[in-house]
Amino acid sequence: MEVRYGEDGIHLPAIDLWLDPDRDCDTAWFSHAHADHARGSHRQVLGTPETLAIHRLRHPEERCARREVPHGATVEHRGARLTAVPASHILGAAQLLVEHGGERLIYTGDIKLRPPLCGTETEIVPCDRLIVESTFGLPIFHLLGRDEARRRIVAFARGCLDEGEIPVFLGYALGRGQEIAHVLCAAGIPTMVHGSIGRLVPFYEAAGYAFPGLEPWDRERTAGRALVVVPGFRNVLAASGKGYRFAYVSGWAALANARARTGAEELIPWSDHADFDELVEIVERSGAAHVDVVHGYAEAFARILRQRGHDAFAPREAAARTVETEELP
Amino acid sequence: MSGAQMLDLARVCERVAANASRLRKVTIVADWLRGLDDEDLARAALFLTGSAFPRHDPRRLSVGHATLRDAAIAVTGWDLETVRLCLREVGDTAEGISLLLVGHAACLPFSLAEAEEDFERLERARKTAEKRAILEERFRTAHPLATRYFLKVITGELRIGLQEKQVEEAIAAATGAPKQAVRNANNRAGDIARVALAARRGTLDAIEATLFHPMDFMLAKPLDSLDELTEPDAWILEDKFDGIRAQAHVEQGRVRIFSRGLEDVTEPFPELVEALERLPGSAVIDGEILGWQYERALPFVFFQQRLARKKVSEALVREVPVAFVAYDLLYRDGELLLDRPLEARRRALEALFAGREPPLLLAEQRTARDLDEIDAIFHEARGRANEGLVLKRRGSPYEPGRRSGLWRKLKRPFGTLDVVVTAAEQGHGRRATVLSDYTFAVREGDRFVNVGKAYSGLTDEEIRELSRIFRRIQIQRFGRVLVVEPRVVLEVAFDGVQKSARHKSGYALRFPRILRWRKDKTAEEIDTLDRVRELYEHSLRVLEEAAAPQG
Repeated sequence: MEVRYGEDGIHLPAIDLWLDPDRDCDTAWFSHAHADHARGSHRQVLGTPETLAIHRLRHPEERCARREVPHGATVEHRGARLTAVPASHILGAAQLLVEHGGERLIYTGDIKLRPPLCGTETEIVPCDRLIVESTFGLPIFHLLGRDEARRRIVAFARGCLDEGEIPVFLGYALGRGQEIAHVLCAAGIPTMVHGSIGRLVPFYEAAGYAFPGLEPWDRERTAGRALVVVPGFRNVLAASGKGYRFAYVSGWAALANARARTGAEELIPWSDHADFDELVEIVERSGAAHVDVVHGYAEAFARILRQRGHDAFAPREAAARTVETEELP
Repeated sequence: MSGAQMLDLARVCERVAANASRLRKVTIVADWLRGLDDEDLARAALFLTGSAFPRHDPRRLSVGHATLRDAAIAVTGWDLETVRLCLREVGDTAEGISLLLVGHAACLPFSLAEAEEDFERLERARKTAEKRAILEERFRTAHPLATRYFLKVITGELRIGLQEKQVEEAIAAATGAPKQAVRNANNRAGDIARVALAARRGTLDAIEATLFHPMDFMLAKPLDSLDELTEPDAWILEDKFDGIRAQAHVEQGRVRIFSRGLEDVTEPFPELVEALERLPGSAVIDGEILGWQYERALPFVFFQQRLARKKVSEALVREVPVAFVAYDLLYRDGELLLDRPLEARRRALEALFAGREPPLLLAEQRTARDLDEIDAIFHEARGRANEGLVLKRRGSPYEPGRRSGLWRKLKRPFGTLDVVVTAAEQGHGRRATVLSDYTFAVREGDRFVNVGKAYSGLTDEEIRELSRIFRRIQIQRFGRVLVVEPRVVLEVAFDGVQKSARHKSGYALRFPRILRWRKDKTAEEIDTLDRVRELYEHSLRVLEEAAAPQG
């Protein structure tokens, strides 16, 4: 199966399917609803029901046909079988299995292997060719497991509240923000969320995650509560001079330099991306004969895979893709 | 091995890093120090200042970055290219190596006493291969987090936001000794390990100042622009010289000179030794050594020839004469002057230097009533081929090793310009998905000509916002580079202007840095190529004047 990598996305010409494209096209697969994956104007969009619902909320102006492919379901597309395989990333994230001409290709989209705080666990399915992300594809990235992440989030919040300070978690509008809020609420900590995070909470509630006692952001009533805000909001809070203490929850928090960049004291290296060891495991368990590496440290990670005996490469344009991402601090 | 573990130290340090409040940092450290036995208390105090040996100890570890990296490669099996990229992304060799070691280390106990032994062995080892073997053994056996702090001591910086002042405070809190007494004793002895023990035993007063042990230098905090300065009349102004900072210790004809790195640099300056020998009594003098001829400073490039040699020939002494410009007196005839106000120290220095001639000079002091006057004095200093000004707070004490803001330095930028961005390039790694490197231009009639390129000095939020704008106003794309419409105006600072064949303008800014995003300005309002030419010619004149003897 031919795969073309361009600066505007990944294209499977044999079945004219674009994967998370950065251009308008006929048929696009959205691996998940982050804005750097689910975008553009297309005739038809395929994705899980969760992904398409969030896309509809964020882009009501898009008139595309939204074709739902629930986790585990298979649809026909121009002579190929397309299956949505669960991916542990954000709510509704899926890998795409493409079966065509006797070949099996997996496009992971954004993925991790460890169980998520919210959402499904990754399923590994065997394939011939794997297109894998490498956001954290260097052997310096070691991220926390779910239980430890949960413990650290709650411990930071309690520690601050005990000292009369206001814990503020910096997380992204979709995914991290809701996960942190869910963990805090479940631990019985009064929690307030910033608007762009709160807007997407109902999707998580619909999927069965409870947010007992969650309140919307109210500048006058922050005392005694944990806050979850988008990273850009830190300066607004810090400038107000109240006793805020910041925690940064991100894979980039694995490096101490995140402190200077984000102004957070506490670094909690929890991510919806795989860390290095998980990426290697995803590749090895897939059994793929060919591995294409996209996003992040693509060239370095492909080189490391080659050293381990894999037929791996990083398509130049894919590595250099310029995208706006919610994964960046 | 029993005793305190490096892993304990590491965990304490990680908590210190994760607490911005100085008070909390001190409490965390004090709580740990309190429970240590005497020997470990001394070791811990020393390691917490990022040092393997006391300040006055002439021993140096001499372990280079490449040796550390090669040991990490040997233990982890990663190739050089991968390791280089990883260390670059982390930005701290100690942290980077410790992260690479995860999964390659046995995580056996590693005590402070063993670390101390390792430091001694590393210092004694003459061959790089020996040093590497010691490191490899430790990398394989110790917990990577313990190794991280072992390496931070080797590289000399913990980078956890813990200054020596806070270690002193923690020692005071842990032992019950008064803060000021700990601080004074540390200033006198330059040996925090000894001070920690004396604090616990109540014998701080017995620690006496010891000459010929270098003291840390007080440092000046950069002042990016005069506008930041409040109370312009609260400062004493001195020229900022382009030489090397030096501390001269003098006692009855004996002289040693120490550099900022606390190295002994007496040998290359025989004429200074000869002049300093004649000073009466004993003294520790802070000042600057620089090339000096025809009653003015020589450009640093000439002076460098003197620095390059350990032994200097008489010919070189004649060819590149030097001077010691004194500006502070830290110790005089058995008395430490650090806590005396600047003016009192200066009076004592003037008395000591009365009637002295080159190569011994006194830094001239000036005062100003307002910012305009400071600006005028700054330009006079530049006219004397000096780097700029050091502003010293009236009445301030001398704070060894601190950059507290009681001294400010105003040097470069050589100038600032408003420029417009013409192209934006993707960063690497964490910044791989944003546009963080900008090529910028000045105006030449109705077109824009490039004069430089800089990595963004802006905040993450600004970079994200700019990335969105650049994608919107993109004209053309070449791989990682977007050519954009000239709309975004930045203010850049730089250290000079040089001719350049790379840019169509014919000029390039030296070391450009982005100061701020000027949302209030349009491309029509930016600086012109004529202004760049003017700055270039001005810099030529300064250099020529500096190089030529005066009438």
